[in-house]
Formats: sequence, C-alpha cells, structure tokens
Amino acid sequence: MPDIKVTPLGAGQDVGRSCILVSIGGKNIMLDCGMHMGYNDDRRFPDFSYITQNGRLTEFLDCVIISHFHLDHCGALPYMSEMVGYDGPIYMTHPTKAICPILLEDFRKITVDKKGETNFFTSQMIKDCMKKVVPLNLHQTIQVDEELEIKAYYAGHVLGAAMFQIKVGLESVVYTGDYNMTPDRHLGAAWIDKCRPDILISESTYATTIRDSKRCRERDFLKKVHETVERGGKVLIPVFALGRAQELCILLETFWERMNLKAPIYFSTGLTEKANHYYKLFITWTNQKIRKTFVQRNMFEFKHIKAFDRSYADNPGPMVVFATPGMLHAGQSLQIFKKWAGNEKNMVIMPGYCVQGTVGHKILNGQKKLEMEGRATLDVKLQVEYMSFSAHADAKGIMQLIRMAEPRNMLLVHGEAKKMEFLKDKIEQEFSISCYMPANGETTTVVTNPSVPVDISLNLLKREMALGGPLPDAKRPRTMHGTLIMKDNSLRLVSPEQALKELGLSEHQLRFTCRVQLHDPHSDTDTLGRIYTHLKSVLKSYSIQHVPDGTVIVESIVIKVTSSAEEPNLKVILLSWSYQDEELGSFLSTLLKKGLPS
Amino acid sequence: MDSECLALLPAVCLVLADPKQSPPDDTSLEKLLDWFKELHSQSNGQVLLQHQPCLLEFISSVCTSKTTDHAILAFTLKLTGLLAATTQGFHLLEEGGLLVSVFEREAWCVCDHWEDASVRSGWLQGLLNMLKHQQALDFIRGNGLIKVILQLQNDRSLFVACLANQLLVHILNFLTSSNMTNGSDAVGSSELSLRPDWVSVSSEIMNAVVEALSSEDHPQVLQGLRLLSLVLSQCGEPIRSTLWKDVLVPLEVLVNRGSESLMKTLITVLQAAVRTPLLSQSEYKVEVLLEAMLGDGNRKEHFQCAALILKLEKCPEVLKRKAMNIILLPLQCVSTQPQAEKEIIVVLKEQLSQKASCISLLMQSLSSLAELAHTKYLFEDISIHSVTSSVVLLLRMCSGHCPSSLLHINAFTHLIGCCKVQRCGLDTLGALSVYEENVDLRKDIFGVLLDCLQSPDSHATVMKKTFQAIKRWIVECLPFPDLLQFISHDLFPVLEKRLCDLRWEVRDSTLEFITQLTAALNGYSGFTEALHNSGMVSVLLSSLADAEGYVRASAVAAVGEAVTVSFHIVNNNNLLEEALVQMMSVLSQDTEGFPRRAVVKVFTSWLRGSHPITALDSSLSSVLSLGGNDFDWEVKMHTLELAEMLMEKTLTCCPYAIQNFGSSEETHFTQALSRLKAYGLFDLLLNSLFDCDRPVCEKACGLLVKLRTLTAETADLNHSAFVLNVCGNRWENEVQRRCLKKQPAKASVCVTNLVSKSDEETDCDLHCSRNISLYKILQILDLDDMQRMLTLSSDHVVNSPRSLMEDILSAAQQSEENIVDCY
Repeated sequence: MPDIKVTPLGAGQDVGRSCILVSIGGKNIMLDCGMHMGYNDDRRFPDFSYITQNGRLTEFLDCVIISHFHLDHCGALPYMSEMVGYDGPIYMTHPTKAICPILLEDFRKITVDKKGETNFFTSQMIKDCMKKVVPLNLHQTIQVDEELEIKAYYAGHVLGAAMFQIKVGLESVVYTGDYNMTPDRHLGAAWIDKCRPDILISESTYATTIRDSKRCRERDFLKKVHETVERGGKVLIPVFALGRAQELCILLETFWERMNLKAPIYFSTGLTEKANHYYKLFITWTNQKIRKTFVQRNMFEFKHIKAFDRSYADNPGPMVVFATPGMLHAGQSLQIFKKWAGNEKNMVIMPGYCVQGTVGHKILNGQKKLEMEGRATLDVKLQVEYMSFSAHADAKGIMQLIRMAEPRNMLLVHGEAKKMEFLKDKIEQEFSISCYMPANGETTTVVTNPSVPVDISLNLLKREMALGGPLPDAKRPRTMHGTLIMKDNSLRLVSPEQALKELGLSEHQLRFTCRVQLHDPHSDTDTLGRIYTHLKSVLKSYSIQHVPDGTVIVESIVIKVTSSAEEPNLKVILLSWSYQDEELGSFLSTLLKKGLPS
Repeated sequence: MDSECLALLPAVCLVLADPKQSPPDDTSLEKLLDWFKELHSQSNGQVLLQHQPCLLEFISSVCTSKTTDHAILAFTLKLTGLLAATTQGFHLLEEGGLLVSVFEREAWCVCDHWEDASVRSGWLQGLLNMLKHQQALDFIRGNGLIKVILQLQNDRSLFVACLANQLLVHILNFLTSSNMTNGSDAVGSSELSLRPDWVSVSSEIMNAVVEALSSEDHPQVLQGLRLLSLVLSQCGEPIRSTLWKDVLVPLEVLVNRGSESLMKTLITVLQAAVRTPLLSQSEYKVEVLLEAMLGDGNRKEHFQCAALILKLEKCPEVLKRKAMNIILLPLQCVSTQPQAEKEIIVVLKEQLSQKASCISLLMQSLSSLAELAHTKYLFEDISIHSVTSSVVLLLRMCSGHCPSSLLHINAFTHLIGCCKVQRCGLDTLGALSVYEENVDLRKDIFGVLLDCLQSPDSHATVMKKTFQAIKRWIVECLPFPDLLQFISHDLFPVLEKRLCDLRWEVRDSTLEFITQLTAALNGYSGFTEALHNSGMVSVLLSSLADAEGYVRASAVAAVGEAVTVSFHIVNNNNLLEEALVQMMSVLSQDTEGFPRRAVVKVFTSWLRGSHPITALDSSLSSVLSLGGNDFDWEVKMHTLELAEMLMEKTLTCCPYAIQNFGSSEETHFTQALSRLKAYGLFDLLLNSLFDCDRPVCEKACGLLVKLRTLTAETADLNHSAFVLNVCGNRWENEVQRRCLKKQPAKASVCVTNLVSKSDEETDCDLHCSRNISLYKILQILDLDDMQRMLTLSSDHVVNSPRSLMEDILSAAQQSEENIVDCY
C-alpha cells in the first residue's frame, strides 16, 4: 500500500523552529526551514545530516516550501542552501520572497556582531539563496516536476503567509504553516478548498486556547498606552521591522485620530518606508477593508506616526516609540529602554517572544535590576506589559479549518505536547479521523488508500442500461463489470469486446477442468447415461444434452466418462467448463463427488 | 563568576526539581548543561559534587518524583552522566545507589516517561557522557544496559537511533583504546585481547550487527549498516576486521540482492571500508563487493553505485574506470554512438525514453564528470574532446537545438528547457575548463554559453551558472586574441540585454559577473577600452537607479570596478565624476542598506589602490559624514574602515611606516592631521565612539587609540592647531564630564548645569570648554578603559551562566504565565 511519511526535524511537539520532511509518492519535500533564535551555535539550525549523511541535499529533496517570512520558519534557509548546499527549487509567495531577505539580513546583522558567533551566513549568501526562490501566487498550481504539484492558499498570520497543498498523483498533503482564522486590522482570515487531503499538517500554537476576542486585546493595549501618555509617561514598543508593527501602527493611528491625541508617535528611522513599501506593493494580500480604503487613502501612510531621531528620546513629555529590534537586545530599542527604564511613569510593551538572555526576556520574567555592560546596574522602574498579538488560529479556528478541508488524517506540529494531546483527542472525537503528533525525529507513516477515478465507456453504460439497470447515480455506488484499460496515463473501463478491439488482441477461452472418481459397476456409456438422468432431475431449468459422441453438456460444461482396463469399476469423470460458468461447474463437481443415486 | 553561579546553584536546583514549576525556556536547560560541561572540563566532577550537595539531592529528588517534566528528566540524565564522568564523581553517585536508580531503564517505564523520545535520548546521552573510565563500562555491562542500547538502535525516533549507534561505537572504541587492551592496530590482529568480561560486550554488539544485516526487516538492516559504517570509520583494530569478517557473508547477500533502497547505505559502508587497510587485503573482499555492486551497469542502482564509486577518494583504478564507463554511458547515448554492449544500450535507451529517469541519469552522468574534472582526472580510454563536445551538445539540446541525426532520440524532447540538466551541464562545462586541450573547442563552448544567455526563457539560476562557466572559460582562454572580439562583439550586447531583464535575479547576476570579469581582466587595456567603447559603462551607471536594492548594490560594485580599471585612462574623468555624483546620491538617499554599504566599500577599495586621493577629495568628507550618521550599523562600520584607510594613506610617508616622524615628517604629520580634520574624520570617530551599536564603538575606539599614540609620539605637534568644537555633538556630555573632573575648580557650577540642562548651561559650556584640542580630548577620554569595557562586554544577548541562572529563578517566581508566543 502506498504511504505518506512525515518527520519533523523541528516543530514536532514544540514551538521552536519549523522544519518538516514529507515523503509522498516517492517525492521528498521540506516544509519550512526555520532557525531557533535562542542558540548561538549550530544548535540554532536543523541538523540536516539526518536527511542525508553525505550532505547532498539536492539529490534527496525535490523542493523546499516556505510558508511565511518569520525566522522560525525560514531562518535556516541560507544556511541550508548556501552552506550545507542545496541547489533545487525553493517555493514561497511573492511577498514572502520580498520580505524574507530583510528579516534574514536584520538577524544576520545582530548575530555577526555577537562574540563567539560561528558558522553564520553572509549577506551574499542570503542574496544567492533568494535567487533560487521561485515565487508563486495564491491558488496558482505549480508543477514542480511531472508528478509533483503544489498550490498556495491564503493563511492570514502575516503578509504573504500561505498554506500549501502538495499533491503527487492522487495523494495529497496540506501544510498550514502558521495561520489565523480571524481577520485582523490588516490581514484577512485563512481559507482553503474542500480539498480532502490525506494528511492536514496544522500548527497548534493555541491548541487549548479559545482566545479572548481580538477587540478585547486591542482595547486593553490602547487603554494602557493612553493612560501612560495621559500621565505624561513615555511608551516604548520594541518591534521587528515587519509584521505586527504595522498592525499596531494602524491601531494607534486610528485611535489617535478618534481621540484627537497630540502626543507624538515615532517609528524607528528607515523601517516605516521599507515596510510600507512592501505593504503597498502587496496590497492585494491585505484585508478587504484596507484594499477598499486604499483608493481614497493609503492606510500605511500615517498622519500621526513620524520618523524617530535618537535625540527625541531625551525630549520631555509623553511619546510613543516603536523601535527595533523586538527583543530589546541591541540597537535603538535597547538604548531607549536604558534611558526610560528608571522612570515609573514610563511603560514598555513587549508584543512578542523573547529569547533567553535578552533584556526583553529578563524584564518579562519580572527582573527589576539588570546588570548592563560594564557591570553598571539598571533599575527597572517602568511598567512592563506583555501583549500577545500573535496571529495564530486558536482551538476553534483549527477545528474550523478541519471542517473546511475535510482531511482523512490530521497531524499536529508547532505546539506544546500537552496542549496537542488535548486537541488530538478533541479532533479524533469530533471528526472520527486519526490525529498524529510526532516528536522531532519521529516519523509518522500514514497508509493511503487512494480512490482511483476511472472513465467508463458509453457503450458499456448503454449495455448496462439495456439490461435494465438503474441510471448512474453518484450517491448510490454499484458494481460494474468490464475490462480496465490503462493507457496513456488514463484509466478506462470498457466492454471486453471493445478492449480486444482497441488493443488489437484476439480472444482466448480459458477452461477449468476437474476429475472426479467414483465407483460404478456399469459400462462407461451407462454411467454417462446415469449421470445425464441424475442431472436432469437436479438441474430442472437447465438445458442438458446427451451427445452421441459420449459427452453430456450442461451450458458450457462438458462431462465425459473414462475407466481403466485394470479397474473397470473405477470411473473417472472429466468435467470442463468456461470461467463464465465457474459457479455451475463447481456445483456439478461437488455434486458428482457425492456419487450417483442407486 | 563561577563562584557567584555556584552560590545560585542550590536555588536553581530547587526550582528545577519542583514538579509544580513548569520547566524553563527550552534553551535554558541546554545552556545550563553547557556550563556544567565547561566546569567539568576545568575541574573534576568530584569537586563539584562534594561542594555542591544540592546536585545529589536534585538528582535524587527527580528520580523519586513521578511527575517531573520530561525536559527536566532528560536534563537530569545528561547531568548525572556528566558528573559521573570522573571516577570520583562516579563513586559518589554510585555509593547511595543513585546511579543505578537514574539509569535503570525499568524505573523510567513506570510513569511512561520512556515513551518520550527526549527521555530516551537523555538516557543515552547520559551514558555517553559517563563513559570515560572503566567503572562506567562495568556499570553498563553489569546492569545489562547494552541490551537496552541495542534496542534503542531501532528506535522510532531518528535522533535516538542515531545516538544509540554513536554510543555503541563509543563503547567498542573504549574497549579497544590503548589502556584497555594489548591489541595492535595492524589489520587482522585476529583476537581481541580484552578483559574476559568485556569480550562478552563486544560480541554482544557485533552479533547484533550480524543479526541486523541478516534480518528481513528493512529498517533493522538499515540501522545495522549504519552502525557498521560508523564502526569502520571510527573504530580501530582489532574490532574493525573482526566485525568485517563476521558481517561479510550477510553483506555479500545484501550486495548481490541489489536492493535500491539500501544502495546508498551500502555504498557508505564500502566507502568507509575503502578508507581502511581492509581494502588492501584480498580476503576482506572490499573490491569484490564494490565490483558486485556495479553489476553489468544497466540498472538505475548500478548508475547510482558508479556515481558513488567515482566519488571515493581511495579507489582501485580498474574499478574507477569501470564505474566511469558506466556513468558516461547515458551522456554518450544521448549525444553520440556509445561503445558498449548492445544489450546494455537497449536497456539504457529504454530508461532514457522516460523523462524522470532520463533526467536523473544524465544528471548523475554530468555531476560525476564534474567531480572527475575537479580532480583533473586523466581520461585514458575516451578523449576529453569528445566528452566536452557531448556536454556542449547536451546543452544545445536543452536550448532546443538538436542535430537531425539525433532527432530520433526520445531524450531530446525531455531535455528542451530542462533547468535541472542545464544547471548541472553548465557546472560540468565550467569544470571541464581545467583541461587545456579543451581550449580548441572554445568557439563551440562560448557559442552554447551565449545561447543560454540569449534565450529569454532561461531560468535565473541557469543564467547564473552560465556566467560562472563563462568566467572560468574566459580566464582559461585569456591569451587568445579572439577572446576580446568575443567579449566586445558577442558577449557585451547580450549582457546589456540581460541588464534589462525583468527578473532582478538575472540583472543582479549579470552585474556580479561584469564586476568579476572586470576585476579578472584588470590590466588588459583592450578589455577596458571595450568596456568604454561598447557603451557598457553607461548601462552600468543607469543600473544604479534600479528598482531593486540588491541590484543597485551590485551596480555600485560594478561601477566601482569599472572606475578602478579605468584610472589610468586619460578621459576617465567623466566616468569618475558621473560615478561620484550617482554614488553620493545612493549613499544619501537609498532606503536600503546594501547599496549604501556598497558605496562606502567602493570608496575604501579606491583608496586602497594606488590611485591619487585627490580625485576623491571632494567627496570623501561627505561620505564620512553620511556614512557615520547612517542608521545601519554596518554602513557605519564600513565608514570607519574607510576612515582607517584614509588615516593610513594620509598619515604615512610610506605605506609601511606610521611612527617616528622626523622634523620634516612633523610638518607632513601636521598637514596630514589638518587634512583629516577637513574630511571630518575626527568628528566621525568621536561620534562613533558613543554610538548605540557596540561594534561601531569598538572600532572607533581602536582608531582613536591609534591616533592618540601617533599624536603623543609627535612631541612638537602644535596641539592648539587642532581644536574641535564640542557643542552639539553626541560626545559632548562625556567629554564635558571628564573635562570637568580634571578641572575641579569649575566643576561645581558646571555639573549642576549639565544635569539640569538649563539656559545657563550654554554659558557654562561656552565658558569652560566649547573648543577643546584633539590632543586634550584624546587624553581626557579614558580610551583604554573604554576599549577594555567594549571588549569585555558580553554583548546584546547576555550569555553568562549567572544571567542564565537568574533568568531561571526569576521565571519561577513569575506567577502569571506568559502565553507561549512565537516571533
């Protein structure tokens, strides 16, 4: 039986880097190629030696698919393609291809600066890697080769995020990447066809959470910012260049407009232009509201949000600053934090994950005294808030996607084991399908039983109808007999005569023979006569002939009697029949084995 | 630092052992283990265990708790192994029976912990950590753990299975390490001279390998082969030859069965065997096995095997030739009439008629050929001309051209526009440039390469490979006069067309190629003239305004190189002026970092060359000022590198001497400093010293120290001539603060003002130190201390173990759980 194998090298029962290997119909595909930002050595990248020991990934992999631009999904790509060595195709959507190198470059710049960093890719490698990327559009079916095709669906989450359907022949897998089933300020909700894949590989970050409404979180965020600004404090929001930052900007811009607030909002220099450039370029990937209003006014051209200059940090009075990087581990955001940390009127809002060792991680853990460079201690008096704006599907959303795609099997990745366990039970209960949750390095094998579509010849259908059969009905499957022709990549069921004609073959008759021994003291002719009489009495509705040449014929069944000279009482009855009369032939042989009536 | 950490350790142990606490961040435990490893390598486990009883308590409490998290369990297993790696540590752990309770497999089964791959993996890693002394091996043997390890060799988790193999090899290695045996490393030193109780260990493992290889279960065979190849490559004698003898029979069966799915692993085994002295001894049959795997060369697996044999570094020549004949067949079949048995050709043609196998066979053929070329393999039976011509023909087929004599070959239709074969073919063609005799074919070769470039349908990756191949061939053909003709008449027009390609990847690769070509042909005046006369230079200049940042950066580099090779041309001024104007606009206005970085790098490379700086004089101060104020720290770093080059060029009389200025040199030095001041170099360095990015500060500090040394060494320098205005600069506060420290009399007034930033402050500043001499600034700033701090700084992500422990502790105190988020 054909099967599909799924092996996570990352994201198996964890929310680390995603890297999942799928073997389907003889093809090997890598889904995402993420990096773990928490390490500063080789442990940050997936160990590709598990795929192939000689490092020749190009020979092993048919393609790599990247779901979106976050580094835990694409951060190891230049390492894999340029340092380990992979020359094959890499697929991602157009926005992902445009934005991915910016984030890779951002992270490279932070990383190369660190001491003790080894084995990290260069700018040139990022570019060379990007040159291998084949961009694709939503709902566009891409033929990777003769057998393998892929198709992207909208996933929400971040600009350009996509879910991918991977199809080889009749087997298929859908990989969701990260997705969001509820639209947000700038992106729409994920959507997929009822494509009934053999396996749906879904992220499960919020496997057990039914998240409080987005509106609530937004209100909370605005309230906190507003309160701080009202009491004359400064608000620092450390962000990465692209993604959540834009959503928060739209939120604040609208709020400032509505409340007629005067406190300035700043964004790290250079980033707004770059980010907005991409949001404008890929406006079709944003949600309907933004697309509609874009004609009148570009949502990303902000009235209240201005470019930040480092000297502004010392300005008196309230202000809100979006600064990079997002984990408070370097550059501008850290510098501003140091300046503002000592004042309890100020506030820092962390909207995302922070790696251990970063200032962001420390203050989220409640540390109030930070040892900075040179052993000087920094007192953290400002308020620290964590607001998750991460756009993932919650438990309800995941169930909704299953309903949409109707998979035959489910496989959970990108989540915590305990939470996955809970969701797995729920899925198996509600949908009666198997749900798997392999750990990293473990292979899940799903046996597929593909239904093979076959064309039926019109003649065969007409003949079936002529025999009084009902009209074909999709809801009432029934058996039809014919000859299956596999030719030119198609399967057709035709009548045997047509098959012979088409294939230029002549018909051969296949006959079954059987010998039955019985003791009968009469002559051979008499024995045959007794058989004839016996059969006449048993098979009343059949035409039975006693032919003068010494045979009895029932339909296609021929019966002869012989005996040997040494033992004339032992008769050997020879039965022969064609395969159409297999049932009757078997019946007669059994009947005669019981002997003749005396 | 370690003593502070050790003080925190008991609290950390308590937190980790507390089953009510959720385990810390997934990387924290790994980093904590790293620290233990480091400690362990510095001292010994006994000291740590003796002084830190909390560790024993921690291990014991984790073992007895049934509810501990899997991550903590795995950590404990690894840690215990690490602590037991010294005999003293081992005994301490063994005394209370702790070691047995940690590694006893049954204990873990009770609560289904064993079901978790991380626990199994931790268990193996723990044993691996521990296996550093004889007692450890006795412990493993005595507790029957070899059996468990062998079971884990077939674990459902790749990671666990792999680790189990590593551990088994480590055990075998340990058995044969010099202090354990009397064995020699000579092949066939037949008997293991081990302690009798250890013989059972080695035979248990070796029997398991034999059993696995004889098994009908495919995954088991695969794992057996993996272990075998590890033993061959990592173990010494007599284990190696003893095992090889044992497995030879099942191995021969596997080889002769020729299963496709085992092919690669079998080759890995043989590859490992080839590297050992086993190869030279006929009774070990390594060569026979390799030959058997090659078969008659008409099945897909045979091609795979031939391709792999060609990659073996040490391989009998006869075998290599046989493999080469097999591997070249598909290429010959498609392009010429091969010399091979008819039966083989029939089977091969059948395979070539199917697209997938056709592509795969040709790619194997091509890439093997490229590998042979990399080692400059001497082809004896076949002429290199005919091989190269075949590759050229194949590439023509990919572009849709096929000689009528070959039209009947089905493969042709599969090849049209096939990127995979094209890329591979181009790599091979480039590699074939190492054979000098191929230069005769240059017309054909350049022809087909030009075809690839000309076709608008060529994939971007194909274009890139084409450029790489062209560059290799141009460098090989350099002395030929017809080369320039080819470049200016054929190549340049196509390049200009490609510079207008819709795809940025193609435009960028074209520019990168032009840059490399220009650099490679620097000194060939004919080329430089062609560059100017063909109009290529103006196309390059227009590429500076490309829509894509990557392309603009490559254009900057290309223009930079064009200017470099044109410095000696009299009418170069126009190009330089035009280039300078456009580059300054890129540096000041470009929204992306790459082009700005490229501009500064180009200036540095111009300065590095032997060209007069005067031509760049007008732009240098702007570059320093713009680059120094860039918001990309790497642009700032490159600007400091430019400043360093400028200092070197300006301050040195000759390129090799910076110090010891005599009286005439003093004048020179004073002039040089004046020029540097005019460029704004001092402002740049001082501003950068207080940048928000550490590498920038560090670099600037280094340059200032250098400058300070120079000024101090020049005793009669007129310091008052080099006065800098402090006001409005980033470094104002620091300089003022330090200045005031040294002028206690005025301090009281000024300090107040500096803090309050009142209006009087300006007066104070004006009064006390508005203008300070460079010399004084360099003396006031404690540059040595700053440099020390910057070098010591643990950087943005604090990697110290103390910080890690504090993080673990503070995370435990945090009552409100932050929802796990991902970036």
